[in-house]
Amino acid sequence: MTNRKPDENPEGLKRYERQILFPGVGEDGQRKLLRSRAVVIGCGALGSVIANNLARAGIGNLVIADRDFIELNNLQRQILFDEEDIAKGLPKATAAAGKLRKINSSIRIEPIVADVTWANIETLIAGADVVLDGTDNFDTRCLINDACVKHGIPWIYGGVMASYGMSATIVPRQTPCLRCLFPRAPLPGALQTCDTAGVLGSVVNTIASIESMEAMKLLIGRGRRNPGIITVDLWEDIFDTIPLSKREGDCPACGRGDYEYLAAREGVHTTSLCGHGAVQVSVRPSGKIDFPVLARRLESAGKVWFNEFLLRFSVDGYELTVFPDARTIIKGTTDEALAKTLYAKFIGA
Amino acid sequence: MTLIYFDNAATTWPKPESVYEAMDRFFRLSAANPGRSAHKMALTAEQEMSRVRLKLARLFNAADPNRIVFTCNATDALNIALKGLLRPGDHVVTSTMEHNSVVRPLKALEKRGVTATKVAAAKDGRLEPGDVARAIRPETRLIVTTHVSNVTGAVQAVHDIGEAARRRGLLYLVDGAQSAGTIPVDLAALPVDLYAFTGHKGLFGPPGTGGLFIGERVNLAGFDTIKEGGTGMRSEEALQPAELPHRFESGTPNTVGLAGLGAAAEFISGIGVDRIREHEIGLMRRLTEGLRRIRGLHVYGPEDVEKQGALVSFTADGWQPAEFGGVLDQSFGIACRTGLHCAPDAVKTIGAYPLGTVRLSLSYFNTMEQVDAALAAIERIVGSVGPEAVRLRE
Repeated sequence: MTNRKPDENPEGLKRYERQILFPGVGEDGQRKLLRSRAVVIGCGALGSVIANNLARAGIGNLVIADRDFIELNNLQRQILFDEEDIAKGLPKATAAAGKLRKINSSIRIEPIVADVTWANIETLIAGADVVLDGTDNFDTRCLINDACVKHGIPWIYGGVMASYGMSATIVPRQTPCLRCLFPRAPLPGALQTCDTAGVLGSVVNTIASIESMEAMKLLIGRGRRNPGIITVDLWEDIFDTIPLSKREGDCPACGRGDYEYLAAREGVHTTSLCGHGAVQVSVRPSGKIDFPVLARRLESAGKVWFNEFLLRFSVDGYELTVFPDARTIIKGTTDEALAKTLYAKFIGA
Repeated sequence: MTLIYFDNAATTWPKPESVYEAMDRFFRLSAANPGRSAHKMALTAEQEMSRVRLKLARLFNAADPNRIVFTCNATDALNIALKGLLRPGDHVVTSTMEHNSVVRPLKALEKRGVTATKVAAAKDGRLEPGDVARAIRPETRLIVTTHVSNVTGAVQAVHDIGEAARRRGLLYLVDGAQSAGTIPVDLAALPVDLYAFTGHKGLFGPPGTGGLFIGERVNLAGFDTIKEGGTGMRSEEALQPAELPHRFESGTPNTVGLAGLGAAAEFISGIGVDRIREHEIGLMRRLTEGLRRIRGLHVYGPEDVEKQGALVSFTADGWQPAEFGGVLDQSFGIACRTGLHCAPDAVKTIGAYPLGTVRLSLSYFNTMEQVDAALAAIERIVGSVGPEAVRLRE
């Protein structure tokens, strides 16, 4: 990592020549980017494309946070990683930072290998000009929303699955926030995830590029901001923007300032189970899981079985036992961050 | 679905109403620092602490209340005793039924040159006092055993083990975490030199309270403190005061919790431990007989409930204990504990390692109806197809 100020690099602004030529950016815009700090939370499919875009575009200070390690099935779409990284057993954040430093050594890149939780997110986003969503779960998005609304930091939401994706730009106290759009988190197990429905690389690149562009427009202070929820289905050739309704006065986050996820009253919680070599994951709010529906969805990903009391799902050497209220015992690990990842991947919350 | 709380060996719930009230009242009106300042409220607090000590002394029939030292819990009391008494070269006789609150301090003491022999218990968790006596060596200083196993409920023959200790001039430390308040303990009659107990289980007090009884055979000159500090008396002296209970009670005590523990001790004395025991034996008889009738269930612990505390462990064919406990909680509202119960040696002894057991533990507040409801639930779960069974069939 260099201690030099990014724009004092001997190469100066030369590497950004083509970008500066674009009138919306210009030399002053580029300097703004170089003085900016962006935090990318989650460095999987979306996050690695976002980090790649922002590093090449010369965002001066780039923080990349992710809790996971690279797996073979990531390479289909997670552009910053390769087979060597897997052989070395590298965490995603570390591998991403290594790649990006080779691409642009003149900016500061800070990899954070950690599970982003209510306990560390405020430190993580402190001083950020923009936060970008590279996560794969609604729980962390609600947490990002709470922290960003509380500290007045704009953030870009993005999500993808199968052949479709969506993005929204959230500027606290100007636009509706995520909780205005989705007052209640989807119930655990109610939605598909990329690990059950699959995902196409192209749609990841599209949504991540929209997120990156939105961030750059915000940082430079020019351009027309995404006014709603952009939705894209590249398979069905659908491009649409759903206009955002007004801010909800009784929105818990931006209306009442009640940050339920930041206070850890809502969301995903983990407990290591004594002697079981297992972690229990629980979610608030919880609901009644529909075992037959969940079983049908999980069939494509692993072996699944259920009776009237529980559902058991085996995948990659892990065993997930799901109870009716979505509480899940994950066997085969004592790592609580990994357990949360598995939960997000297969049950979804 | 009303909650059936069968996790009383972890901590009892609910507590007697008088315990909640005593804590609230004391905290609002009298919670000054006892033994420090001399104003009225501080004196009231100090008197209350003395009364709590006296109530506990009466409950356990200890002649001198000052021989009961307040601690945070049984673990704290056991650490004070083991680490304060044992010296390099000392040998300890213990058992394979111990909780980690004994296992881990002894393991830590290994580094200081203390060795231990773990006497193997029978499959039901009961220790043969003769085996304990035979493990005594010339360099043995102390015997430490649990009173009631937190895994099988087995009640140890503490009287006979204590006699063996006395015959050889050894000290006997009893881990009373699961016995205090649930089975009669007469410290004047029992050959027990140190008795560690916690407030929040059978005694019905709040968490963060407990105590260590230190008998007259314990030489205080050879009993080091593991923590030193303010005692509110003899502040001019650099050395920790030698007298009980102050020697082992440094720092401001958990007065609010102890006020609750005092009310709890009074509640128990009011009913009588004998009657509590009788009620729990009645429940245990119904529960263990019912469990033993369910096919596919393995019940651990003594056949005779008279030799068992108010808890029992079981496993079910085709079910992992954690899953079974999860179903009891989620589908039937029955709270229990599953796994190793912080006593891996004991779980190995009964042959349920590494997955452990499902443990049901009762209190005076549980009823026959609750026992019947639990038995019906367990029978229904066992009657459904277990996840393992299905896998085997595939």
